[in-house]
Amino acid sequence: MMSTELAKMRNIGISAHIDSGKTTLTERILFYCKKIHKIHEVKGKDGVGATMDSMDLERERGITIASATTNVLWGDHSINIIDTPGHVDFTIEVERSLRVLDSAVLVLCSVGGVQSQTITVDRQLRRYNVPFIAFINKLDRTGANLFKVRDQIAEKLGHNAVLLQIPIGLEEDFRGIVDLVSMKALYFDGPDGEIVRAEAIPAELEAEARAARESLVDAASMFSDELMEAALEGRATEAMIHAAVRRGAIARRLVPVLAGSAFRNKGIQPLLDAVVRYLPDPSEVENRAVDLNGDGVERVLVFDPSAKTVALAFKLEEGSYGQLTYIRIYQGSLRRGDELVNTRSGQKVKVGRLVRMHADTMEDIPGAVCGDIVALFGIDCASGDTFCSPGLNLAMTAIYVPDPVISLAITPVDNATADRVAKALNRFSKEDPTFRTYVDPESNQTIIQGMGELHLDIYIERMKREYRAEVETGMPQVAYREAIGQRVAFDYTHKKQTGGAGQFARVIGHFEPLAKGGYEFANEVRGGRIPREFISSCDKGFRAALRKGLLIGFPVTGVRAVLTDGQFHPVDSSDIAFQAAAQGAFRQAYAKSRPQILEPLMKVSIEGPSEFAGNVFATISQRRGVIVSSVEDGMFARVDAEVPLSEMFGYSSVLRSLTQGKAEFTMEFLKYGRVPGQIGELLIEQYAEKQRASAPK
Amino acid sequence: MSPSVKEELVKRSPLRILEKSISGGLGRGNIAVLASRKGVGKTACLVHIAVDKLLQGKSVIHVSYSSRVDHIINWYEDIFKEIAKAPRMASALEMYDELIRNRVIMNFKQEGARTEQVLRSLEAMIVHGQFAAETIIVDGLDFGQAGPEELRKFKDFAARLGLEVWFSASLRGEEPLFDARGIPLLLESHVGVIDVLISLLHHGDHVHFTLVKDHDRLAPHNLRLKLDPTTLLIAKDAAKAA
Repeated sequence: MMSTELAKMRNIGISAHIDSGKTTLTERILFYCKKIHKIHEVKGKDGVGATMDSMDLERERGITIASATTNVLWGDHSINIIDTPGHVDFTIEVERSLRVLDSAVLVLCSVGGVQSQTITVDRQLRRYNVPFIAFINKLDRTGANLFKVRDQIAEKLGHNAVLLQIPIGLEEDFRGIVDLVSMKALYFDGPDGEIVRAEAIPAELEAEARAARESLVDAASMFSDELMEAALEGRATEAMIHAAVRRGAIARRLVPVLAGSAFRNKGIQPLLDAVVRYLPDPSEVENRAVDLNGDGVERVLVFDPSAKTVALAFKLEEGSYGQLTYIRIYQGSLRRGDELVNTRSGQKVKVGRLVRMHADTMEDIPGAVCGDIVALFGIDCASGDTFCSPGLNLAMTAIYVPDPVISLAITPVDNATADRVAKALNRFSKEDPTFRTYVDPESNQTIIQGMGELHLDIYIERMKREYRAEVETGMPQVAYREAIGQRVAFDYTHKKQTGGAGQFARVIGHFEPLAKGGYEFANEVRGGRIPREFISSCDKGFRAALRKGLLIGFPVTGVRAVLTDGQFHPVDSSDIAFQAAAQGAFRQAYAKSRPQILEPLMKVSIEGPSEFAGNVFATISQRRGVIVSSVEDGMFARVDAEVPLSEMFGYSSVLRSLTQGKAEFTMEFLKYGRVPGQIGELLIEQYAEKQRASAPK
Repeated sequence: MSPSVKEELVKRSPLRILEKSISGGLGRGNIAVLASRKGVGKTACLVHIAVDKLLQGKSVIHVSYSSRVDHIINWYEDIFKEIAKAPRMASALEMYDELIRNRVIMNFKQEGARTEQVLRSLEAMIVHGQFAAETIIVDGLDFGQAGPEELRKFKDFAARLGLEVWFSASLRGEEPLFDARGIPLLLESHVGVIDVLISLLHHGDHVHFTLVKDHDRLAPHNLRLKLDPTTLLIAKDAAKAA
């Protein structure tokens, strides 16, 4: 594969709303690229499941969780595909893939159109400046409407969406597509649609096709003077159109729209053609890394196989073959036996086995060059680590990792399981930075944390299946925060005389709310009233105190601590004494600061038939939610709301039973908001009770 | 965020002039229509009226036909910023976050949305969603398609649930747009159902408000209001007041 010309390499992601048929589409791509020899359905009757869903669990649930990467050949082009998960709970996976990929295929359902998750994914594509093609799937479904979805991409997502194809027949009658560049009708013959047959455009579609082609050429002309002139003189060639569309697509100023039905094996080969025609090769994408030697300066990486190596480990996986590390090479190349440095830990590693992945199988390769995505064996690292040739000290920009919003206590069913649980947790938290685990020092229980109920559910099931580790789970616990309500002064003296050296420290100052959250420390002590060496002790003491609020024991955020004055004793003052004084000052002042409890608020989007809108409104108001908007488009409705996470447990089953399974919802963390008084009091009471129960008798 | 700031904003609002001119306000169970050509500023006026209600602690449902939700959200933010600018409130943002908790946007695609369906959804929001709205804003209803009988359904609904409803009506086509009594030709058949009818007209660089119908009174006269061309707020018309 070393011989693959860089210009013939593509790294693409496939992103979509749940149930848009993304996994089915990926399956077909693998089939037509001859990576697999038989097509399996996602919820396969043959009990095998789509090839990309490598985990049993994913097979069972019919959803894709972990992004497996795979390499295919289309003609003489090498395409790395990352199958990204659709559920919002796992968007960290999507974000990581987007960092690693050069372009994407956005799959939309021709009935559902632009849905809530599509909007999330589009935002992510925008954030990472990823060019993409839109593929409108499921044209065989009742209610399919290519033009409506094209309009939605333009209106709701604000893209210059341009049709490259129009359908021949629709719904039950969907037979093929008209390629507007070559002006040919394409049909997909053979048992699996593997034979593409080009014919003349059916007479009844000729006028429509001509008009659509004209709009295509008009739109493409914006990116090519040559095409514009040629079009005026009626001599526009296919090559000119392709070149112009490509320019627009790479600049993200034109979105080529293709269509088909993956399930019916229609339109996939033209989509692959479009991927290699219109999406960028790795050298056309600029990548930057932070220079760890010089004050965080960003450096543009050179796309040159002979340069020093820079690579990013973006995913870890423990497969049946041992620990696999997926890496993307941004600069230089990689060969077996090369020595690299992990710039986070400073550790040196030697490249052993190097493989190219295909879902569950792999091929050994001697080396790879910049632009490529491969996997390494036996490398100890965390996802997000950067590997460089010795002498370079760069870090690929860190991928934004949100804090977990929910936690769950787990208890192994017996001692033998405990080891396996520990092993599983260690691996999961390495693979997924939004999944965290720790032992609560008070209850001595193992706590797991993540981005939502489903997120944690999946890991508990994986523990059971992959590690035979069964655990009992507690009630899901929301990650509350505490905050001070107003500025409050403190003046606290810590004094202890217990024989021997005493302890003495006095701190004076105030705490004030910090709107942006977090913690800030300001030292305004003048004239050496507190010696320099003890200032940082105060800072440390405040930090320690803020880790656990006094209302319900959750971290206190949004505090600025200002130290203005104090007192010390030449013999009895110490680091410990000032830390203790700072903690005492916080305890003294906190109650007077009108402290508040904050809770995570989720942005919830519910979509379904409009007849259920009333039921949905009711579920939101019952859950202390605020409805932001409701949009009705004929039979279809979408409700956007803000709801506290603590009220959302079990919502999926409630929604399912209320709407006969016809509505679905997605949610993601929005912000922290104040817990209303009564509920806050209840939480405080519960916490006090727990404290009393665990207090030594 | 003190209540007094809100009170101050409400008290000083030029909308008090409008209220005075229409016998103390629109009133529950009643319907008002702001009519003008496209692009004169009806949406801005409706949003100004809605924000004024929100400042009074009332709840508002903003119904729109075919406009995008994020556009409407922006309208509220912009109008609120302009209103709050005057007293220079530090806590304006916090206040805004609190205010919009009492606003729901409901968007309907015109082709698919029959009045019955819109009213059914509105009722679902108020009853099942427990959203105690007092004011409904309806922006973008096509009065060319929706005849007086449709408007009558809105009015019955408003009376049943104790709501006041503010509509915008887009006037199109050749001059004249108004009849001798100042009633827009488009709304001639609706006028019996409408309680308050106001038309907006470009006059030099300003937009002026004419009160065409005030409850039972049909006597067009100029309101001492204009639309500020930069802020798009309803403002006192100093020239007329002097």
